[in-house]
Amino acid sequence: MTARNGMRLTEWMRVRARSEKREPGIPGGPSFAYVFGWVLVLLLGVEAITGAALAAFYAPSSTDAWASVAYVQDQMPLGWLVRGLHYHGGSAIVIIAGVHLVQTAVWGAYKKPRELTWWIGIVLLLLVLGFAISGYVLRWDQAGYWANRVEVGIAASTPVAGPTIRSLAIGGNEYGNLTLTRFYALHIVVLPALFAVGTFAHLVLARRHGTTPRWGRDGSMVVARWPYQTIRNVTAMAAVFAVLLGYVISQHGADLAAPADPAAAFDARPLWYFRWLFELRHLTGSYEKLAALASPAIVGGFLVGLPLIDRDPDRSPKKRLKFVGAVIALFAIIGLLTLKSFAGDAGDAALAKREQADALLASRARALAAANGVPVTGAQDVFTTVPMYQQRTLFAQKCAGCHDAKSKDRKGPIIGPGHGSRDWLKGVLHAPSGDAYWGRTKLGASEDAMKPAELAPNEIDDLVELLYAQSGASDVNQAKRDRGKTIFDKACTDCHSVDEGVAGGSGPGLGDLGSRDWFTSYISNPKKAIHMGKNSEMPRFDAELTMVERDVLAGYLVWLRSAVQADLDKLGPL
Amino acid sequence: MADEPDRRGFLKVATGVLGGGLGLVVAVPALRMCIAPTGAETVTTPHDPIELGLVERLKVGAPWQRVSVVAPVVKDAWTTARDIVLGGAWLRRTDAKVEALSAVCPHLGCAVGFDETAKSFLCPCHNSKWSESGGLVANTGPAQRDLDPLPIEVHDGRLRLTWVRYKLDIPTREPA
Repeated sequence: MTARNGMRLTEWMRVRARSEKREPGIPGGPSFAYVFGWVLVLLLGVEAITGAALAAFYAPSSTDAWASVAYVQDQMPLGWLVRGLHYHGGSAIVIIAGVHLVQTAVWGAYKKPRELTWWIGIVLLLLVLGFAISGYVLRWDQAGYWANRVEVGIAASTPVAGPTIRSLAIGGNEYGNLTLTRFYALHIVVLPALFAVGTFAHLVLARRHGTTPRWGRDGSMVVARWPYQTIRNVTAMAAVFAVLLGYVISQHGADLAAPADPAAAFDARPLWYFRWLFELRHLTGSYEKLAALASPAIVGGFLVGLPLIDRDPDRSPKKRLKFVGAVIALFAIIGLLTLKSFAGDAGDAALAKREQADALLASRARALAAANGVPVTGAQDVFTTVPMYQQRTLFAQKCAGCHDAKSKDRKGPIIGPGHGSRDWLKGVLHAPSGDAYWGRTKLGASEDAMKPAELAPNEIDDLVELLYAQSGASDVNQAKRDRGKTIFDKACTDCHSVDEGVAGGSGPGLGDLGSRDWFTSYISNPKKAIHMGKNSEMPRFDAELTMVERDVLAGYLVWLRSAVQADLDKLGPL
Repeated sequence: MADEPDRRGFLKVATGVLGGGLGLVVAVPALRMCIAPTGAETVTTPHDPIELGLVERLKVGAPWQRVSVVAPVVKDAWTTARDIVLGGAWLRRTDAKVEALSAVCPHLGCAVGFDETAKSFLCPCHNSKWSESGGLVANTGPAQRDLDPLPIEVHDGRLRLTWVRYKLDIPTREPA
């Protein structure tokens, strides 16, 4: 498009929009001091666009919220970037809004006739904090959940109205689905609507009053806004966005802790821009309630009152030292409290350890969510999607102490990959009281212990095949098994039997040995005559575990028979 | 026209009434609906004691052990779900007695942890501390009372705990 055509189009638009042909100028000339408002407009745009994209994926329900956030963060192409821009963009808004506020205060730009613009700005800042609180809980992870519980708890300690405020905020008596739907509605509909109206009014007023020139500058010298101020605005926008983008990439988006767990202790910390209040509560001890509710009111009241007490038209900071000093001191105190809070945490070794454990849990939950999905029963159940979760948990809780190779106080035979396999059976025959077998039991050390089988190697193989066949395995060599039966009848029947349901002499019955039913029966009561009888030190589990649990364990033991360590490793940690 | 100011005034009022009325017709039902959950029991859990397994899971004389209190059924607005964690409790067994403390901090409801080396309870949010028996250690944090004991009994060799949430941030113990 030629410049001429461009001019024509602008002119066409101007007539249709019925706008006055005017060149809004900057009294006293352009400056980088005036860019912050426009940087904020850019950041608001970033929030709106990324927010809309996130809303297309988010599920505001207590069962699905965490899962949908984890899905965006870990599985959507560039989902981490969109989420990171949204989350850290919020922090950027707080920082730039703070600078904008300080600049306005130092310039004395809140003075007549701009008081209303200033007040609307303060309301907008409060809305930003509202966005932060309502947004942080939506992820429904440990961090957002507990931070919200504390924030709502503070509001609930308001005299008289406290319980109603709490109930109104969380949508009833307890945290649940309605908590998320209301904070979501607040975050994506109510607050943006209010914010849009406020921003519009703020911008219209700012434009009507024009830029406040720096004190001492000749305001009568008006320089065109376009492009002299605009280039500064755009440069600042690009610089801030570059920093934001770089930070988001360095953080790979935003963090996400493990799913909310109402039972697990978590070191809840508010978002960084509330840390000064958090620290103030720590410092003030028994006056903490006063600090929590009164200090925001004092800070807010001071900012609102500023144009009313600082009324002299002279805007030179030198003549307004106490006001400029008060604003700067206020932000310095907030900054120091924030630093002190972070420094306190950084010096706490026990906290660092807990945070490390929390981070580990988070990465585990997210890895499982990405690999297996999140059960519809709730994000907490993501941990149960580990392959063979129930089996391995039961084994770890009920069996590992006495049977795991790594257990320090192992009392029984090792149960691990290959348990009940041909090699394992061969090992038993060679050394029943070996350390990996019954060596650590009272039986193994007693007179009653089985003696090593003194047979030729091929006879051992045949016997092993017979015992192996009891489990019902499908890869049995029938000829070997039959030969094994002959050997068994010759060498073993003094103490044992392989007939189904028949106890041996002094030793256990071996019919169905290693089958799922046999394991279930053994786990239920190893002291039965058909199993180890009174010799068994293993407790019975028929009361402690349900039939289903015993069967699940038995299934796991059957699986272990043909498993190797690599199969177990492939399942991942529990 | 002589009646023009009257007419104009009437039209102004009429516009206000009509416009305001239209707004109210939409706003009242919307607000009524939005405040409905306030004060209502939107999350319902059975009030019966909750089964926590065999009493043997607690060794006599062992330190406090954290358990998740899992309700068999929880109705949460439009969903109903099984095995939902309501919160945490700390249990211990001394000789014939079983004791339970709510892990909900009486300050603002964070989950309280037990520090085995220091033999004390600690709230990770605002550093309130309690002794091994659950008594508040003065001047450590903002909590105003001892940890809340929960009713627990042994029935048929099984632990049965009654889950109660108490009002937060007050010195006395009142059910929420």
